[in-house]
Amino acid sequence: MSLLNLLLHPEALDLVYFTIIGVLFSLFVSFLPALHIYNILGIFLMIVLKFEAGMSGMQLVALCTGMVVGYSILNTVPATYFGPGDESLSYYVLPSAHWVAMGRGYESVILTGVGAVGGLALLAISAPVFLWVLPGLKSITSPHMFWIIMAVISYILMSEWPKGVSQSKSTWANFFEGWKFLSVGLLTFFLSGVLGFIVMSKTLVPLEFAFQSITPVFVGLYAIPWLITNIINAGTIPHQHECRSLDLDWDLFSRGIFGGFLGGFFAAFVPIVTAGIGGLMAGHATAQRDSRLFVMSYGTCKTVYYVGSFMLFFIPGLSLTRGGLAWIVTPVVATLTMKEYALFVGMMLVATGASFLLLMPFTRACIRLVEWVDYHLISWVAMFITLPMVYYFTGWGGIAIMTVATGIGLLPVLFQARRMNLMGVLLLPVALNMAGYGNDVLRLLGLL
Amino acid sequence: MKGFTHFISGIAVASFFPQAVHMASQEQSFILCLGGVFGILPDTLDFKFARYFHTSDFEVRPDPNDLDARIIARTVAESMEKAVKDGRSTVQLHTMQLGSNLWRSYTLGFDSKTNEVVVELGPLVDTGQVPFEGTEPKDPEKLSARVKVSAPFFQEFDKKSNIAIMSGPCFEFVRRDDGRLEIVFLPWHRTWSHSVTLGIVISLLVALVSYLVVPEGPNPAMYTVPRWLLYPLIVFLGSLVHIVEDSTGFMGNNLFWPFTKDRTSGLGFMSAAEAIPNFFFVWTSIVCILFNLDRFRWAPDQVAAGIPHPETFFFWFYAVPVAVMAYFFLKGKHEKDARKAERKEVDFDSPTASERETDASIV
Repeated sequence: MSLLNLLLHPEALDLVYFTIIGVLFSLFVSFLPALHIYNILGIFLMIVLKFEAGMSGMQLVALCTGMVVGYSILNTVPATYFGPGDESLSYYVLPSAHWVAMGRGYESVILTGVGAVGGLALLAISAPVFLWVLPGLKSITSPHMFWIIMAVISYILMSEWPKGVSQSKSTWANFFEGWKFLSVGLLTFFLSGVLGFIVMSKTLVPLEFAFQSITPVFVGLYAIPWLITNIINAGTIPHQHECRSLDLDWDLFSRGIFGGFLGGFFAAFVPIVTAGIGGLMAGHATAQRDSRLFVMSYGTCKTVYYVGSFMLFFIPGLSLTRGGLAWIVTPVVATLTMKEYALFVGMMLVATGASFLLLMPFTRACIRLVEWVDYHLISWVAMFITLPMVYYFTGWGGIAIMTVATGIGLLPVLFQARRMNLMGVLLLPVALNMAGYGNDVLRLLGLL
Repeated sequence: MKGFTHFISGIAVASFFPQAVHMASQEQSFILCLGGVFGILPDTLDFKFARYFHTSDFEVRPDPNDLDARIIARTVAESMEKAVKDGRSTVQLHTMQLGSNLWRSYTLGFDSKTNEVVVELGPLVDTGQVPFEGTEPKDPEKLSARVKVSAPFFQEFDKKSNIAIMSGPCFEFVRRDDGRLEIVFLPWHRTWSHSVTLGIVISLLVALVSYLVVPEGPNPAMYTVPRWLLYPLIVFLGSLVHIVEDSTGFMGNNLFWPFTKDRTSGLGFMSAAEAIPNFFFVWTSIVCILFNLDRFRWAPDQVAAGIPHPETFFFWFYAVPVAVMAYFFLKGKHEKDARKAERKEVDFDSPTASERETDASIV
C-alpha cells in the first residue's frame, strides 16, 4: 500500500502520465521493424534531448521506464511477424516462426507477454531482496567480470553442435559436412569480433552522431540479413488463429518464469551479455525442452534483461550502470534513495499493466497488416526506411560499416549457424579490453 | 548432463584453487575458464569428432520412394544376428531428408518381451519435428514391421527411437556371457573421451608444457601448489567432474579405456535430460564459485567480504533451494513411478525426452 500511496501522491501523479507516454512511445517504435534496442535508444535520446529542459529528472525516468517496459513487451509482435532487430530477438524468432507457420503466432506473442508480465512481477517482488544481495554480488564479481565474459564466449562457441546430415560412406566427407556449420559459426564470431574492434577504435561515423556509432553495425548484422531473407522467402504466412485461451499450466508457467528470470538477470548484471545469450544459458541450465516453455521463458528473459539492467541503476548505493537508458538518466538524477527506487518499481508495474493491455490489440493490428499486405512488401518498405535512416544518422561511413556487417550477418543465415555468434562484435572486444589485451589486438590489426 | 552443467562445474572446480582465483583477479588470467573448457571437452570430442569416425557393420538407408518398414527391421535384425554369431555388431540408421525443411520420420524399438525389432513409418515432419498430419504412408503392409531375433536382448533405455531429422542414431549389439544381447545406444559416445585415462594423459601433456613455459608467479610461499602444476590439475579435475556427473545417470562411462572395453552402467540416480538434477549441479557450482571468489579475494584484510556470514549464505542460497529442488524432484519421481506402474508395458508410443533434445551432449 505504501508503494501505491507513494505513487498516487499528487506530487508523483505526473510520473504516471509520463510512464504512460513512454509506453505509447514504445508502441510507435516497436512498430518500426528490424530495429535494435540500441537504435531505439538513439532515436529516443534525440527526441528526449529536445524536451529535456522542460522535464524534471524523475519525469525523464518515468518516460524511460514506460518506454523500456513497453518496448520489452511490445517489440515481440513486429519481431514475430516482420523480423528481429537484435540478437535477443533473433534467439526467439526462429522457434516463434514455427508457431507463425502453424497459424499460432498470436498465441506465441501472448505467451511471451505472459512471460514478460511474470518476469516483471518477479522483478518487483525481488526488489527488496536485491537491496540485500546485490551489493555483495557486485563486490565479489567485479574483479572477475572479464573472465566471466570470456567463459560466456567459450560456452557459446563450444556448445554449438554439428548439424551436418551427410550420409556418405566416407567418414571424412561426413566430418567436413558437420564441421562446415561449426566453422561458419566460428568464422562469424571472429569476423564480428574484428569488426567490433575496428568500429570501437576507428569509427567512420561523424562525431556529432558518435552515440549512434553502433547503429550501422547492428542494422547490418541483424536487420538487413533478416529483411533480405524475408524478401527472397517464397513462403506465405498462413491465416493466424486468435486463441481465446492458452495451453499453459502452473507448472509450466513457474518453470518458464524461473528459467527466463535467471537468464534475464544474468544478462542484466553482466555487461555486454544479452537476453539471447542469457536465455540460451539459462535454458541449458534448467534443461528446457517444451516449445511453450521456451517461448514464454524468452518473454521473461528479454523483459528482465531490458528492464532489470535499468533497475540496477536505482538500487541505492550499488552504483551499477548497465544499458543505454541508465546512461541517459545519469546526469539528471542527482541522488538515489529508497524513495526513487520504490517509485521506479511502481512505475515499472504501471507500465507493465498498460503494455499488457496494449499487447493484444497491437498483435491483432499486426496480424491484420500481414494478412492485408504481403509481408514481402512490408520487408521492402522496412528496407527503404532503414537504409536512409542509417545514412541520415551516420553518413556514408555508416553505410560502409553496415554493408560489411551485412556480409557477416548473412553468414549464419546462409549456413544455418547460430546468429548468436554475431554478438562477437561486442563480446570479443569488451572481454579482451577488460582483460587488458585490447591494445595488443589493435596493434595486431594495424589499428594502433 | 547438459553441456552447460559440465561447463560450469569445471569452472567451480577450478575456483577451489586460491592461486587460480588470485591469478584471475590480479593478473587478468583466464585460468578459471580452463576448467569450463575441459569440463565440456569430453562431449565436444564425441559429438564433434568421434561420431564421424565410427564405422558400422550395417547401415539403414531407407528409400523415400519405396518405403518399407520390413526392410529396415530386417537390416537391424540381421545386425543383431551377426552379434549373436560374432559377439559384436553395429548398425547405423540414417534419416530421410526430402527438402530443406522436410523429413520423413520413422521409429525403431526393441521389444524385449517378444524378442522383436519393431519399426513404424511415421509422418513427414519439419526440422522442428512438427509432424504434418495425414502424411503417413498408406500401405498397411509396409507401414510397420516386427522381425524376430533368435537371442533374447536387453537395454538400459527401454524406449523406442524416433529417427527424423539431422543424423540418425547408431546401435551396437554385444553378446554377453549369459547369451543375451545388450543393446548399446550410441556406441561411440562416453567411451575413450569420457575416461579417466584420457584425462590423465592430457593433464600429463599439459603438465609437461606448463612445467617448461609457466614461470613461478608472485608470492609462491602463499600457495601449496606450484603454478605450473595448477594447469594440469584444473584440466584433469575439469574433465573428471564431467565423468562423475555423467556417472550419476543411466548410460555411464568407459572409465578406464583402453583397459576396459565397455561402458560401465551409471548409478541411475537421475536422467541426464531432467531439469532438476541439471539445475542442482548448476546451482551447486554457482554457490561454490561465489563462495570461493569471495573467500580467496585478494587482500582480505583491506577488502570487505561480499559474503560476511557464510552460514546465512549457505542456508538461504543453498540449503533452502536444494530442499525445494529435492521436494519437486522426489514428487516428480513418485508420479513417474506411479505412471510406470499403471502402464506396466514398454512405451512404444512417444519419443523419449532425450530424443526430443536439442543439446546433443545430454544423451
